[in-house]
Amino acid sequence: MYGVVRVLVYTAGPAQLRGLAGLVAALGASEAFALTPGREDEVAQHAYGVFNRVYRVDAERLTPGQLAELLEGLYAEHQPDLVVGPAVKDGVDAGSRLAARQSLPMFTEAVSVELFDGGLRVRRQVLGGRAMAVLESGLPALVTVKPQLWEEKAPSETGAEISTVKPPAALVEEESWEPKKREAVDLESAEVVVGVGRGFRRKEDLAMAEELARLLGGVVGASRPIVADYGWLSEDRWIGISGKKIRPKLYIAIGISGTPQHMAATMDSKVIVAINKDKNAPIFQYADYGVVADLYKFLPVLIEKLKEKLGK
Amino acid sequence: MGRYGASPSLHGTLWQPLGAVEGSVAIGGVLPSMPLNIAVLVKASLDPNMIRTGSDGGVDAAATPLAISEYDKNAVEAAVQLKEKHGGRVVAVSALTWGPSARKRKELEQVIREALAMGVDEAHIIIDDALIPGDPLLTARAVTALLQKLGGFDLIITGEASMDMISGQIGGRVAALMGLPFISYARSLEVDAGAGVVRAVRDLEESLQTVKAKMPAVVSVTGEANKPRIPTLLQIRRAMRKPVKTYSLSDLEVDSVAKPRLVEMKLIQVKRKNVIIEAETLEQAAEKLIEYLEQEGVLPK
Repeated sequence: MYGVVRVLVYTAGPAQLRGLAGLVAALGASEAFALTPGREDEVAQHAYGVFNRVYRVDAERLTPGQLAELLEGLYAEHQPDLVVGPAVKDGVDAGSRLAARQSLPMFTEAVSVELFDGGLRVRRQVLGGRAMAVLESGLPALVTVKPQLWEEKAPSETGAEISTVKPPAALVEEESWEPKKREAVDLESAEVVVGVGRGFRRKEDLAMAEELARLLGGVVGASRPIVADYGWLSEDRWIGISGKKIRPKLYIAIGISGTPQHMAATMDSKVIVAINKDKNAPIFQYADYGVVADLYKFLPVLIEKLKEKLGK
Repeated sequence: MGRYGASPSLHGTLWQPLGAVEGSVAIGGVLPSMPLNIAVLVKASLDPNMIRTGSDGGVDAAATPLAISEYDKNAVEAAVQLKEKHGGRVVAVSALTWGPSARKRKELEQVIREALAMGVDEAHIIIDDALIPGDPLLTARAVTALLQKLGGFDLIITGEASMDMISGQIGGRVAALMGLPFISYARSLEVDAGAGVVRAVRDLEESLQTVKAKMPAVVSVTGEANKPRIPTLLQIRRAMRKPVKTYSLSDLEVDSVAKPRLVEMKLIQVKRKNVIIEAETLEQAAEKLIEYLEQEGVLPK
């Protein structure tokens, strides 16, 4: 391959190790080290064999500043060719600090990562998700990726050696922390998503979308106004380039006009259905199947027909 | 360099305004005890809603207009609101990262005028062909050098990421290069001027985290932080008279470095079937739709 490739991986939590180990395996790294906060048992569960050593930080979570400081120490010790982190907010934050201190080029949320002789080639979405950029740089470099994209490539065997390290003091002090209100839906891995938009006039009417989703074994997501302006659904339901990106087999967009920010987050859907009463709505350009109809009249009919079809 | 780490009481004495400026920091005839010196980092981004492409589907950056990056508008709004509350000054800092520079510098100036019209007092911009196309490593170095040259900031505010390259690195890189605390993804922020502390709520994927840091500090804000004001015609006209100073990399004593190569940038084309279901009745339309979905194999078994 390309001689010795040494990789340093970091996470904001041990579950992310799975996908990142998958990427390490896919790259054929000759040596790999990982840094993660987390409980001993959780970390052990994700101490994949591709890692020569896993450094466990004895903390439930770290500030990005603490993560960056620990990373700097490991960077100096292992002199990696490539640093890989999770494309989550704390991961990008910590990565940008390490990249600045070590003068590394950094690529945020790469969707593909390839090594070639002495260099790195990544693809990443730019321009609100509407365009794909291909970038090349020399090594060493830093990339962040969505761990989910490489989970299938994750090696099954664990048992890497684990060292425990202490968290350093934080410059930015946490005063309080609260989990976001969520409704236990996982839009990002759902196979069927029913999206609701401003075509719905009242919160109670979303029940129709809920029923459709239930029939199809799916979940309900929403465009930005439903979440941010009306507050009818919690933020974890927001489908958009700054919200959740979905990749279902079937996406049914109801009463959604189809802004670029919304559509960029749905483009990995296998089949897109649009239901909208405005035949000129941009959503129809992005749809495989379109029904020009008033959702208040069409949804009850569709639900009835589906019940007949599915024998429910 | 600068007065980072120095006591906030030095404030005002080391601040060197660039030429005469209108207005006064005095509120109600009394100078506020702890006015804030704020720098806001503003990017002139390719406008994702105005993308021009060549025949091969490649984005034609030269022909695509620049606009103020969406979240940087929130940064400007946050800075101006803090100035209104605490007194002080807001300086915009920007770097041109798209070419050709002869044409694009005019678009950058428009972007800067917008920030000035929103209430920024003066602007400092870096124009140098070595920065084009932009890469966060060199851009952050140049911006840091300029911030240090200007000196004296209590807060440096920027958007969480630009709307064109969405790298989200500038805030973190600038903070790391200056050795300052960094608070990213703030959806609200407030300053306790007496204590010299900035407090913010960070908007993370699964949680909201309230944090505080000693000033000077760097903060990046999300689109939820505020609703950016729309300047009046009078403010736009007055913005024309506010000072804007331009720098090259050599003015800032920043050396150019090898940057990653932007090999290509193409519109993502997803082929969709675009079938509009035509039917006499809603029942028939529903049946046709169900038939298509069955053919696609996306209905539950």
